[in-house]
Amino acid sequence: MSDSLKPISLGILVLLLVSFPKISTEWARMTAELVDEEDDPHFGLPDIWDGQQVVCIHFPEAEAPEDFDQGRIHIDYDGTEFMSDVEWNETGACIGGFSDHDNGWSLLNAAINSTGDTFLLNITQYSFGLMVDSIAGVDPSQMSGNFSGAYWSLYHNGALSMIGITELELDSDSVITWRVDTW
Amino acid sequence: MKCKLNLTSKGAHMFDAHAVALGPQGMLVINITMLSLIGWALWRAEQKLSSGSDLIILVLLGAFAVSGRILLDPIPNVQPVTVIVLLAGIHFGASRAIALAAAVALCSNMLLGHGLWSLYQAVGWSVVGIAGAALSNRLYVNGRILIPTLAGLAAVSAFAFDWIVSLSALHSLSNEVFLVYLMTGIPYDLLHAAGNVVFVAWLANPLSEVMTRHIAPPTPTAVRDPVSSRV
Repeated sequence: MSDSLKPISLGILVLLLVSFPKISTEWARMTAELVDEEDDPHFGLPDIWDGQQVVCIHFPEAEAPEDFDQGRIHIDYDGTEFMSDVEWNETGACIGGFSDHDNGWSLLNAAINSTGDTFLLNITQYSFGLMVDSIAGVDPSQMSGNFSGAYWSLYHNGALSMIGITELELDSDSVITWRVDTW
Repeated sequence: MKCKLNLTSKGAHMFDAHAVALGPQGMLVINITMLSLIGWALWRAEQKLSSGSDLIILVLLGAFAVSGRILLDPIPNVQPVTVIVLLAGIHFGASRAIALAAAVALCSNMLLGHGLWSLYQAVGWSVVGIAGAALSNRLYVNGRILIPTLAGLAAVSAFAFDWIVSLSALHSLSNEVFLVYLMTGIPYDLLHAAGNVVFVAWLANPLSEVMTRHIAPPTPTAVRDPVSSRV
C-alpha cells in the first residue's frame, strides 16, 4: 500500500497543480456569487489586485480587436497576461496591479504604457477637457449599426464619472472602466 | 572558432549568473535541488549524532522544515512542515512538537513575511503536533509507522491547519463573509492535503527512522526508600 501510494499521490498532486489555476478561478467565481458584491468595483477581478488600481477597457463584442474578442483578458502592471475570463459578460481587457496614482490620467497612461502599443489612445484636447476618440483603434464614431452617437465613456468604481479623466481623483483601489455608450 | 572574452572590461559583469534570467519552472528545479541537498546533508549529519539527543534532531528537522517551506514557496500551499510537525508529535511528544511548530513558523516567516498570521500558523501547526502526540499509539505500532493512517491524518491536518490560520481573517471580515472565505480556499486546502500525502508517502518512513534513533530514553527516577518499597 505504502509503495503504491508514492506514485499515486505524486500523480494526483501534479494533476492538481496543473489544473489548479482553472479550478481555483472557477471555484472563486462560484463562491464569490455567495456574497453580494455588486457594490464592489473589484468584483470579478483577480484577487491579487485587491486594494490596487485597475483600468478596464470594454469593447463592444462585434468591434473588439482580434486578441480581445473572447471575454476579458487580465494583464498585470508589467504587461504580463496572466488570466483570461471567457465567461465574463463584457469583452476586452483589464490592466491592474497599480498603486499610488492620484489622478485618472496618470493611471490610464501607466496602464497603456505597460501594454506597449496594444491599446494606443487617440485623444482630442478641447477647451472643456480631453476626449478619448479611440482605444486600440476602436473608434465609436466609426461604428455602424446601433452605435449612433457612440463615444468612449468613463466609469469610476462602477459609476459613470461626471468629470473627465484628467480631473478624476483616485482612491488607492480605484477601478476605472472605459466602455462605449451612446447619447 | 575561438572566442576571446575580455573579463577585465566593465562589461564583465554581464557574464555572471545574475545575467541569466530563469523562469518559474527553472527556479523551482533549483529550489527542489537545493532542498534535496539540504535534506541529504542533514541526513548525513544525523548519522554521526549519538542517540538520545532528541533536541539536536529537532533542530535539524526544523532546519529542513524551514528550508522546505521557503524553497517550495512557489508551489501554492505545498510544504513539508505539517508532516514534519505531525511526526515530531508522534515520536517526541506534544511539547517538543509545539516548540518545533512555533520556531518553524517564526523562522520561515522572517523571510516569507511576519505578522499576525504567524501566531495563527504557530497555533495551527501546534494543534497538528498535539494531534500526532495524542494519536501516536495508533499511528506508530510495533515499531512501524502506519503509512495509510498517517496519510489520512496528514490530509485532515491540512484542512485543520488552513482553517485555523484562516481565523486570522476574522480580524477584518464579517462572519458571513468568513464562511465564503473558507470555501474559496478549499482548492488551496486540497493542494495542501495532496502535498501532505506525498510527503507522508515519500518521507514518513525515513524521517520516522531518524527520529526513532534519537528518542531520549526515560530519565531514571530514584526510589526514595528502596527497602520499604519492596514487597
